[in-house]
Amino acid sequence: MSSRSAALRYYVFTRLLLAPLMVLTITTVVFLLLRATPGDPVDALLGARAPAAAKDALRVQLGLDQPLFIQYLNYLGDLLRFDLGSSLATQGQTVWQIIRAHFPATVELTVCGMIVATVVGVSVGALAASRPNSPLDAGGRLFGIITYAIPMYWFGMILQLIFAVQLRWFPIGTRYPLRGTPPAGLTGLYLLDSLLTLDFGAFFTTLYYLALPSLTLGILISGVFERMVRVNLKQTLAADYVEAARARGIPERRIVLVHALKNAMIPVITILGLTFAAMLGGAVLTEVTFSWPGLANRLYEAISQRDYPVVQGLMVFFAMIVAVISIAIDILNAYIDPRIRY
Amino acid sequence: MNSSVSWMGKGNGIWARRPWRRWVQFVGLFGLVFAIALGCAGNDQPAANAPAGGGDGRITIGTTLTARTLDPADAYETFPGILLHNLGDRLYTYEPGTTNLVPQLATELPTISDDSLTYTIPLRQDVTLHDGNPFNAEVMAFSIQRFMENGGRPAYLLSEKIANVEATGDYELTLTLSAPFAAFPALLSFSGVTPVSPESYEIGTGSFNPDSFVGTGPYKLAAFTSDSIKLDVNPDYWGDAPANSGIDIQIFTSPANLYNTFRTGGLDVAYQTLDPEQVAALEREESSGGWQVIEAGTNVINYMSLNQTIEPLDDVRVRQAIAAMVDRPLLNDRVFQGQAEPLYSLIPASFDVAEPVFQEAYGDGNFDQARDLLTEAGFSESNPLTVEIWYPSASTIRSIVANTLKESIEAGLPGLVTVDVQNTEGATLWENVGKGVYPIILSNWYPDYYDPDTFIQPFLGCENGSGSICQEGPSQANGSFYYSPEANELIAQQRAEQDPATRQGIIEDLQQMMVDDVPYVPLWQNKDYVFAQEAVNGVAVEPTQQFLLWQISRG
Repeated sequence: MSSRSAALRYYVFTRLLLAPLMVLTITTVVFLLLRATPGDPVDALLGARAPAAAKDALRVQLGLDQPLFIQYLNYLGDLLRFDLGSSLATQGQTVWQIIRAHFPATVELTVCGMIVATVVGVSVGALAASRPNSPLDAGGRLFGIITYAIPMYWFGMILQLIFAVQLRWFPIGTRYPLRGTPPAGLTGLYLLDSLLTLDFGAFFTTLYYLALPSLTLGILISGVFERMVRVNLKQTLAADYVEAARARGIPERRIVLVHALKNAMIPVITILGLTFAAMLGGAVLTEVTFSWPGLANRLYEAISQRDYPVVQGLMVFFAMIVAVISIAIDILNAYIDPRIRY
Repeated sequence: MNSSVSWMGKGNGIWARRPWRRWVQFVGLFGLVFAIALGCAGNDQPAANAPAGGGDGRITIGTTLTARTLDPADAYETFPGILLHNLGDRLYTYEPGTTNLVPQLATELPTISDDSLTYTIPLRQDVTLHDGNPFNAEVMAFSIQRFMENGGRPAYLLSEKIANVEATGDYELTLTLSAPFAAFPALLSFSGVTPVSPESYEIGTGSFNPDSFVGTGPYKLAAFTSDSIKLDVNPDYWGDAPANSGIDIQIFTSPANLYNTFRTGGLDVAYQTLDPEQVAALEREESSGGWQVIEAGTNVINYMSLNQTIEPLDDVRVRQAIAAMVDRPLLNDRVFQGQAEPLYSLIPASFDVAEPVFQEAYGDGNFDQARDLLTEAGFSESNPLTVEIWYPSASTIRSIVANTLKESIEAGLPGLVTVDVQNTEGATLWENVGKGVYPIILSNWYPDYYDPDTFIQPFLGCENGSGSICQEGPSQANGSFYYSPEANELIAQQRAEQDPATRQGIIEDLQQMMVDDVPYVPLWQNKDYVFAQEAVNGVAVEPTQQFLLWQISRG
């Protein structure tokens, strides 16, 4: 027992040690890739019409005239002080301010999308697993394939056309009514801020505006969970130890909840976590389709403008999120499954 | 080997004895809760088919344009320019609906010294800044100095022309130019040459306030986020109060969202940028849809730059042949569905001085003339001409234009001309244009101020050149590398000339040089469209391309 917990502690400690290395690797790759990409940020900033002297002066001001290695060292030095720099494009806005302004919208959309995906995916997957080789099972498979194959922007636009344009049940895009005042609060998460201030009108309005993008995102991602749940639950329920447990007279509910589901959920948790992390950084299409003012949209804009600090800063930020989530998943899996150890 | 189990109770299935019943119960309950939640959401949200405006007189506007910054010393794009024009005032502006330059914060047109270098401008005395501080010559001098020194995108517009700025009295501003510039009063109407509060802004390289504005205009900035901007009426404004109670602007990331929101009544006004099909649909359904379509010409020009450093474009006959091949009406019909205007000079047709010189010299799709010129230049079916046309990959319109040109030219001159259409990502393209990488690029130009000079000097001007090639200067940055000492001389002359008639003659000569030497081929001029609900009045695009928000009201 003590040796198992010691092994788990060692595993957790090692994973925590590897996290900064992972972030540093991503940071370095992003830094080098950006410099290798054609396109001069100064040109993007000042435009082709600006005099050469003005461009040179700005290059010096931004430190872009320095050797690449020096630029990299300066960048790492800033990172150690948690300084992600300032936008070249807006000249005055720090990367942290950009994150503060845009990240809550992305988090809200991602969390709601994940809730929809989990509810739909787990329900359909469990339903399909309960009737192997039946029309229900085939329907589950088909659901997984279709939702995986449909392009996000197309599905989003179709839902918009039906539910927002034709039926007019939902707003077409954006995060909050233009004529309304979003709930004020510390977090920038409208749902949470409206609950904290007991502004239920704002809470339901936020939910109303979240509904269509969340459903779009959630339904399309649910296919992944559906497949994982269906396959794993089928395998687990057919395993010898489940049969043995039944033979020993252990109640079915206990078998499933305590034994089978725990094992079946290991890959599902991993996929859940990694999908969540990927969605936080990669919901560009959803955000564009629904005019959602999120961070992925802002990252795309920064890449187009060759806004080095913003791209680097946001990538580091996403890398840290991915690192934290993947560590959390690994620790959770290690806790669930004693076989996972270094 | 039945692997079906029950873990929700007795029975054969995972959902107990009646799997579907449980499932329907679950979905039904979830749906009911969801419907209740949505039902409760209505209090803050107008019904989708309800009029956009509330009863408070505020106007809602939708756009896909973005505002990178609101700092007048750094803003250089269309949308920030429109916002600054409504949030701030300038020394001079244009009388609504006309191109007549009139004083705004100045009390009269400038007094110009005999050498055309010193401009003395008397200022209004009844103006207050948004923060309550008084406006005076010191504030204006500070704002202009800051515009020039902070190193923002438009800084060179003034820094290349003004040698000194000084408050020579409490309400008198004196500007000294480094060289005579006849269009200087027009340049002073640029949206960024607007007074800002010295208490909120500072002079210093790279010191900008991108998301705030403290100036003197009819509106104050109430909110500025990535997806919405709110302007409140400035109660202390010195001039006429706006016809509305404020402006709420929604920024959409896609034309489809803007189009659908406007069509379903979610916006009072939709302004820039809708796809040609969407514009056509809104025009078609104008009478039945309950909205107005306001169409205006623009001063935005679209053209081809022909790079004279790359063979065979160094041969003027080849450049002339390319000018003759272009069929502008075809582009307008096929690409723009009639929502553009053929352009036959780099100076837009809205200027009196503009002459359709390319139409007179080459016509449209004049393949016989093109064949003759190419034959003279040594090209034939056995020695065909291959031209590369480049465009920024993000521009769908220019992609269609390039491919339409290819099809049209190759059909008109089979075997003699091959057009190779290429694209690359925008930032890469613009970085390489000045290096002479591309033979031909499709580009566009937004004027900085309302004067023909802004369509001439940036295209034909060159600071350093030899032979006929520009090594450094505007034409090099524009990708043509055109160099002509005579053109430089004429540009300087028209800039210094205060007599409008004489200046017009010089500009006509410059247009003739464009058509003779063909460093550029003008293609089309955009049209501007604004869509407004029927009950909204006062929506118009000015001849100078400004959009005056304070004129908009609900009927």
